[in-house]
This record gives sequence, C-alpha cells and structure tokens, in this order.
Amino acid sequence: MADQASEFIRQSQAMAEQSWSQWMRYLQQAAGQPASPFAGFGAPGMPGMTGMPGMAASSAPMSDMLERGLSGISSYLEWMQRAANAQASPPGMDWQASVKDFLGGAAQPFAQAFSGIDSTAAQGFVQQWQAWLAAASQAGTTDWRAPAYMPGFGLHREQQAQQQALVAAMMESAEQQRRYQALILKANAQGLERLQDKLADHVEPGRQLESLKALYDLWVDAAEEAYAEIALSDEFREVYGAMVNAQMRERQLVQQHLEDLCRQLGLPTRSEIDSLGRRLQEVRRELRAMEGGGGAAAGELAALRAELQALKRSQHGAAAPAPVAPAAADAAPAKPKRKAKATGTRPVAQATRKKSAGKKAGSAKSPAKASKTGKPAGKTATKPATGSSAPSKDSRKRTALRTRRAAAAVKSSGASRRSLVSPGIPAPHRARRK
Amino acid sequence: MDTPLRIDPAEALAEINRFQRKLAAGLQNLPGLGEPEYANTPRELVYAEDKLKVWHFTGSRPTARTPVLIVYALVNTVWMTDLQADRSLVRNLLEQGEDVYLIDWGYPDGADRWLTLDDYLNGYLDRCVDAVRHRHGLDAINLLGICQGGAFSLCYTAMHPDKVKNLITMVTPVDFHTPDNMLSHWVQQLDVDRFVDVMGNVPAALMNWVYLTLKPLRLNQQKYVGLVEILDNPAELENFLRMERWIFDSPDQAGEAFRQFIKDFYQGNKLVRHSLEIGGRPVDLGLIQQPVLNIYAQQDHLVPPDASRALGKHIGTQDYTEIAFKGGHIGIYVSGRAQREVPPAIHRWLRARD
Repeated sequence: MADQASEFIRQSQAMAEQSWSQWMRYLQQAAGQPASPFAGFGAPGMPGMTGMPGMAASSAPMSDMLERGLSGISSYLEWMQRAANAQASPPGMDWQASVKDFLGGAAQPFAQAFSGIDSTAAQGFVQQWQAWLAAASQAGTTDWRAPAYMPGFGLHREQQAQQQALVAAMMESAEQQRRYQALILKANAQGLERLQDKLADHVEPGRQLESLKALYDLWVDAAEEAYAEIALSDEFREVYGAMVNAQMRERQLVQQHLEDLCRQLGLPTRSEIDSLGRRLQEVRRELRAMEGGGGAAAGELAALRAELQALKRSQHGAAAPAPVAPAAADAAPAKPKRKAKATGTRPVAQATRKKSAGKKAGSAKSPAKASKTGKPAGKTATKPATGSSAPSKDSRKRTALRTRRAAAAVKSSGASRRSLVSPGIPAPHRARRK
Repeated sequence: MDTPLRIDPAEALAEINRFQRKLAAGLQNLPGLGEPEYANTPRELVYAEDKLKVWHFTGSRPTARTPVLIVYALVNTVWMTDLQADRSLVRNLLEQGEDVYLIDWGYPDGADRWLTLDDYLNGYLDRCVDAVRHRHGLDAINLLGICQGGAFSLCYTAMHPDKVKNLITMVTPVDFHTPDNMLSHWVQQLDVDRFVDVMGNVPAALMNWVYLTLKPLRLNQQKYVGLVEILDNPAELENFLRMERWIFDSPDQAGEAFRQFIKDFYQGNKLVRHSLEIGGRPVDLGLIQQPVLNIYAQQDHLVPPDASRALGKHIGTQDYTEIAFKGGHIGIYVSGRAQREVPPAIHRWLRARD
C-alpha cells in the first residue's frame, strides 16, 4: 500500500510539473517572456508605477494573463498535488484524525488560502511601498533606515525633515500592512475550521467527497465564508482604512520629494499640471454658464427676464401671459407635497404600489402628467401665480431689484459660477465636438 | 468508521490527468482566438462631447413613443448592456419595441481629473438628455440607470423632474450603509481627500483589484480553474474571454467625481438622509414623482438587495414597482434567465406608461 501511494505521488507530481512546464514554455515563447515568467512584474493595481525603478510594465495582455489568470491555475495544480499526497494516509485511521493530519500537515494544501491577496493581486496596495522605497533611494533619500528622529539644521534642514517624514511614513505603512496580513492569516485559519465543519456534513455514505475538485470547491466555500466574515468586521474596516491611508501618506511624501527634484531641474510637475487643469475646468464651467444661462441664479435671471417682457407687454396693452424659460423651471423645481409612504417593501418578486386604483401613474402635480396636457411641466410648476396683466408699481420695483441681484450673483460669485453648468439645448455645432 | 473523504488514489491520479489534458487542449485553441468582439448592435452617434458619446441603436422600428436613455456607471464600460448577440439587454429591448439610446462615458484621463458630479449630472448627462429630447421633440424621456448610473439617474430626476418621464433603476445602490455592503464597509475610514489628492484619477486596475478582493479565491483562482474545463470548447472560451475583456478593460475614475461619490454616497449616505447637494442643488428622492421601476439582483455581492430596496422607502412617487431578479450583479444582464425575464419586464412596465 505504501509503495502504491509513493508511486501515485511520484506520478502525479511528474504529471503536474510536466503540464505546467509545457504551459510556461508555450506562453513564454508566445509572449517573448524571459525564462522566469513571473519575474520582474510590476504592481497590477498601480499602472502609474510602471517605469519606476524595479517596476516592469504589467499591461501587456500576455503578462497579465500569466500573472493573474494562469497563476490561479498553477496554484490549483499545486493544490491538487498536495491534496493527492495528503490523501495517501494510513488506512484505518479515524477520519477526524486523518483530516486533522491532512489539514495541519506540512504538505497540507490549504495553508495559503489567500496568498494571492498579499502576493500578486494586492500589490496595488500592500507592496507598492517597496517600489517607492527604491525610487526614493535612487532619488537621494539614502538614510531611510534610520528610525530615530534627528533635528535638522541649516541649509538642508527642510530636506532632512522631508526624508525623515518619509521614513516614518514607510515604517507606518509597513506596520499597517503587517496588521492587514495578520487578519488575512486569521481568515485563512478560520477557513480551515469551517472546512472541518463542512466535512463533518459529508461523513454519511452517499454524501462523501469522491474527487479532488469536490474537496477544492468545498474548501473555497469555507475559505470565502471565513474571509467575508472578517472583511465585514469592525477590526478589518479600521485596519483596511489605516493601511490605505498610511500608503497614501507615504506616496504623498514621495511625490513631494520628486517634485522638489523636478523643480530644481526645471521640469514641470504634477501639481503644476493639476493647477492648470483645475483652472481650465473652472473656465469651461463659466463658459457653459454664459453660453447656456444654466444654474440657479441664471435660471432665476431668465425667469425674471421673461417676467419683464410680460410687464413691458402689459404696459403696451398686450395682456399675454408671461412665458417662462425652461431654465427657470430647471433651476427651481417646485417641491411637491410629500405623500404618505409605504411602511416597507413587499418581500415578493414584484411589488407595485399606486396612489389609487383609479388613478393613473403620476399625480396632477407630476411633470409627466403635466406634459401630457400639452404644457411643459416646468411651465406648470413655475408659472407666475398672479397671472396679472397689469402688475402694481411695487411689483415692478421688486422685479427690478431681483433682476439686479440675480445678475450680480452671476457676475460676482466664483462658487456660484462653478455651479452654473448649462442645461441648455445642445447647439448643432456641439454635436460632433470631441 | 466513515470518512468524508472517499477519494481513491487511482481516481485522483485520473482526475489530475484529465485536468492536464484539458490544459493541453487549450494550447491548441488559444492562439486562434483574437480579441473577442462585443455584440456591436448597429448604432449611430447622435451626440458627442469631450470623451462621452451618445449612441442611438438602429435597425429596428420602435413601437414605443418615448425613447429610453441608458445611463451606465462610471466604473467599467457600458458594453455590458450589449455584450454578445445572445446576451444583450440593448438588443432585447429593441426587439421588444423600445427606442434605445445609451451614454458611453469614455475613458477619463488627466484632463478630466477635475470633473465633479455636478459636471457629470447637471452638465454631461443633462446635455445628453436634451439631445435625445430634441431629436424626438419631447419634453421628457425615459431613463434607465444601471448601478452607479442608477444613483445618477435618481439624482438627475430629482434635479430635473421635467425632463424625465419614467425612471428605471437596475442594481442601484440607494442606502449605502446596509450591513452587508462590503465595499462601503471598507471605505468608511478611508481618507478620501488624501487618496484623491495623491492619486488624482483613480486607476481602473486599482478599482478592479478592490472588486477582486471581495471574493479573492473565487475571482482569482476558482474562476480560472473553471476556465480549464472549457478550454477545449471554442465558443465557451470566447465567451469567457469576452467577459474578461469587459471586466478588465475599464476606465479610470475622474478624481473629483470619485471624491464626491465616496464622501457623499458611501460615507455620508446622503441620498437616504435627504442631505445631498450636487452643484448647489438639493437632491431629494422625495421630489421624484415619476413612475419608478426598481430592479435588483438577489445574489448581488456589489450592491446588496437591501441597498437597492431602500429606494421604496425614500422615493416620492406613488407609482413604484420592484422586481427581484434571481441572479447576481452581472448575471442580471448576461444570464439566460436575464434574457428571458428582464427586457420583457421593462418593456411591459414602460408600455403601460408610454
């Protein structure tokens, strides 16, 4: 029996290795990859880091495939191999002891359930600091290992302070990463416990697992359940936030350091480009506001202009009602009275509520309903309440005052101007603009 | 004594052997496959601005009088709605008689880093709606918002009620603080100001990594183990690769809009607290009086059902309909069940209100 098991293990290992080697040879040939397909990969989560020292491009499809997709297959092959090895336990052993041995042994296949999180897949967060470390080192930060704070003096005081802040940030980032990994390990351990519980449900004849794939799927279920429980814990939320925040602090300091160097070399920086972009976007908003007259103040201005037109017409004896620009309705939609709410949704596949059986969708106040009457809803909502063709003197004064205020608001307030995005009708010339 | 594991060593060896053969078959099939195409249902460009495009789907004679504009999320691309010929929400809606438009937000770059939610909703989206309205000479059109695009559609309808006739939301988060919302849980203590200040635009690959870590073993390993099972099936393999393309060919997120969305929606949960403002305009779901159809997925791990169902408690309209779809966040567009159930349900609901 022992000889049989040994032979089985030897064959399965040979097959798995042969299969994987074949894949790698083929894919390396197709992609022109170096001998070690996973060597020199960048951080998949951080494409911006490609080109940094020690970071190779990771966007090539074949590289991505090798790194993410096929590493999963590779892990599964390894898993099957270990699982098959672990199956070769002495006959007659109590199943719980056997499973305990299986799960806890040196060759057990479940030890690294979430290894992907802190190896390849999560490099975007948890390993980028290493690249920044290399970048900072090459950029002149040489004494990064010194943990103790040392006051700086003289001409290089600021540089020294920046470097020390960066070192502190790196250490903080590493600490938060350690806490994160500890939780991942905890999830892994709890996944194994859950797997044992799930296996206990398969003891009865007829429910036993008869294939490696069935065991693998059960393990994935158990591991994901354990991970989800931890990922939704308060502790994980705190650690996750702290880890990301620490890494952003670290990256921020690296950026500052590099920007200082760029300024010294007369090179444009990201901050300068950002400033230009921000100003450009503000100008675009202002332009839109001027073109389309959108926004609250401009909408009010349009309404008041219409009202003035009505006043002028009334002074000339024309008693037509004042038209209201769509922008006015757009800027200040009438707030309908809140209706009684249902206490909850019905736990059925489809639940519909209507105001009343005899009433169609949308109330009399509904814009949708209003539009069916032939009048734009906005007109209905914002039509002047008086409808008078001969406003009083006080009314004319108030109108003039509001017009001046609205115009002033459009001209003066930077904050208001930023919000004045045109809801206007797209002009034909705009239709094909890139 | 019985044991839960009854794996015969010889059978295990055969299983590994079978797996190896499947793997070897893939060597023959992979090189012949180019970039898998989406369904590419015939369409015409009707409006473009900066990087966004509004497409009108052609090739069928719509029976609906009011067109429907699909508002997709900023994350991933809109082509999930037209993934492949036999898995296309767009194509099925056309077959039902709907007149379908769609906004493709494009791929933001550094020039778009300062786009805010105000720019997206009261700017881009509003002009897209106007473009469709004026093509049809209508005061109001139908909106179909998907995921984050559903939240956008709700906000837009609250701010521009006169331009929306009927509103459909699909797998749309409304209450961002339900206890099973893992994404929300993770960002609660994120210093999003520093994050955006440092990152600028948020890289798509980083977003994808976060999504993968929601179910790390399933999405990083088990899925690819499953791939080996279909390597010798060219059609299935092409479908798999098409989905891979859609998942990972995704846009970066404009920094300012991301900052606002995380702060106001995920952290502040302002949509259900009635305290949201976009561009200085209050966004109150209670103001929405249009008919609303809310479709959610019962196994949605990105937008939990309770996060979507919360809409019923906060929406102002009395004409509110919920449909629960038996599937996940993606399955609601691409599964066989979805093709049979979702487009007809949308069409029936719209037809009753056209």
